[in-house]
Amino acid sequence: MAEEKFPINIWVNEERYEKLQTAGLADMCEEMLAGLKVIRVYANSAQRDKILQVFPTAKFDSATTKSIELLPREVKDAIFGKVVEKRSIDILEEFLGQY
Amino acid sequence: MAEIGHGGKEIVERILGPAEAVAQTKGLKSVEVRSQIANEIIDIAYGWFTPLVGFMGKADLDSVCKKMRLTNGAVWSIPILFDLSEGEVSDNGIKEGDSLLLTYDENPMAIFEVEEIYDYDKGEMCQAVYGTTEDKHPGCARTYQYKDKFLGGKITLANRPKINPPYAPYFIPPLEMRKRFREKGWERVVAHQTRNVPHTGHEWLMKGAWFQAYAELSIEKPLVGVLVNAIIGAKRKGDYIDEAIILTHDELRKSGYFGDHNHLTSLTFWDMRYAGPREAIFHAMLRTNLGLTHHMYGRDHAGVGTYYGAYDAHRLLATVQDELAITPVYSMNWLYCPHCGEITSEGLCNHRQEWQMFSGTLIRSIVQDGVKPPRLIFRPEVFDLVMECAEKYGFGSPFVTDEYLEKRTPVFNIPPLSA
Repeated sequence: MAEEKFPINIWVNEERYEKLQTAGLADMCEEMLAGLKVIRVYANSAQRDKILQVFPTAKFDSATTKSIELLPREVKDAIFGKVVEKRSIDILEEFLGQY
Repeated sequence: MAEIGHGGKEIVERILGPAEAVAQTKGLKSVEVRSQIANEIIDIAYGWFTPLVGFMGKADLDSVCKKMRLTNGAVWSIPILFDLSEGEVSDNGIKEGDSLLLTYDENPMAIFEVEEIYDYDKGEMCQAVYGTTEDKHPGCARTYQYKDKFLGGKITLANRPKINPPYAPYFIPPLEMRKRFREKGWERVVAHQTRNVPHTGHEWLMKGAWFQAYAELSIEKPLVGVLVNAIIGAKRKGDYIDEAIILTHDELRKSGYFGDHNHLTSLTFWDMRYAGPREAIFHAMLRTNLGLTHHMYGRDHAGVGTYYGAYDAHRLLATVQDELAITPVYSMNWLYCPHCGEITSEGLCNHRQEWQMFSGTLIRSIVQDGVKPPRLIFRPEVFDLVMECAEKYGFGSPFVTDEYLEKRTPVFNIPPLSA
C-alpha cells in the first residue's frame, strides 16, 4: 500500500508568484478553490509529526482537508525558498534536517 | 406573558436595581472572581442558564455527572461551578449561609448566597463529562484547574456589565432576544454556533439550515431567521480575534448575503469546554433559553482532537430529544466543486473525485500567507473587514497573539456601583 502523504499548502501570493516566474517555475502551481494558486509540498507521517512538534502553532486538519496548516508565515517562506532553490517540491527531508 | 425556558421553567432575570444593590451589598465579605466565573454569573442572572439560579451544589453536580440531569429532572450536561481554595474559604471565614459580594474588575458584581461548601473528585467529573481524564483535553485541563472547594448557591446580579464596543449591539439576553424575534415575525429561528470568521462553507451551512427549518411554512412573508450566536470567552493563540468574528458575521447581513428579514448576530459569554456531545446538549439548552426553535449541528460539534466520533453528538441528542424544546438540524459538509463551479453539499454533488474540501483552518492558513481568497470561498467584504479588524483591534494581526491577550479591550467591564 502506498504511504499516505499529507500536503503543506503554500498559497502563492503575488510576491511568491513573481519569484516562481523569474525562476521559470510558474507551472509548478496547482489551482484550487476557484482560482487560488498553491504549491503542495508533501510530508509523510513521520515528517508530519515532526512538523507539529517543532512548530506548535501548526495544525493537522484531520477532519476535513488532511493537510498541515497554520505554519508561521516565515516557515512557509523558508519552505517556498527551498522549493525555488531546488526547483522541486521534494525538499522536506532536507528542510526538516535543520531542526 | 411568562417566557418559558429550558426544563419548562420561566426565565426570570435575577438582577437588582441600583438602589437595592447598594443597600443589599453593604457590609458583605467580598471575593474577586476571574473571567470564567464573571461570564457564568452573567449567564445565570440574565437567564441563559435557566433553570439554574446559581452555582451548582453537590447533588446537582453529581446528578449532572451521572445522569446528565439536574436533581429536578431537567436535562443538563455541563457542571456550572464556583471554586475557592481551602485557604480562601478559611481565611475569609466563609461558611454555609453567608452572603458574599462577588467583585470583578474590583467592582461589585453579584451577591452569592452560599448554601453549600463541598468537595468533588475532579477525575470522576472529567470522565463523566468529557469521557476522558487526560489533562491534554482542554475541558479536563479546566476542571483540574478548579481549586479544591466548590460552593453552591443562588446568584443575583447587583451591577450590570458595561459591554464595550464593538460588542454592545450583539449582547442580547434571552428576554430581549425573544422580544426581537417577535418583532421580526419569525416563527422559527435556527441557531448557528460559531467561534470562527465565516467562509462560504459556513454561509451555506446557515443557508442550508434556513431551508431545512423553513419546511412547510408559508413563503408569503419571512417567517424564519438564522441567529448567529458567537461564543465569546477564553481565547487561544492563533484563534481569530473576537472583534473579527462578531463583526464579520454581521457583515454577511450588511453586505446582502443575508438581510434583516432573516439574519441576526449575537453573542453568549462562555468558555468553551470542548465536551463534544455533552456540549452539543448544552448549546441546545442555551439556545432554547434564547428563544430558538432549531439548532444546527455539523460533524464533531464542539469536539476537540479525536476524542469524539463525528456523529456522537447527534446520537446523544437523539436520546434526550423529547425533553428538549429545540429541534436539531443536521448539516452535511459544504465544499467547492470545480466541475459545478460552485459551493455544494457532499450530499448533493456526485463529482467526488473533483471535490475540494475547505475548512476554517485552511482559510486561516490562506489569510496567514497573505493571500486574498476568491469570493466564492471567502466574501471580499468579510476579508476586508478581517484586515480592518487586524489593524483596529488586533495590533496588526487578525489572529490572537500574546500582545492581543495582554492589551485587548475587554468585552465587558463591571463599573463602580452607584445608586
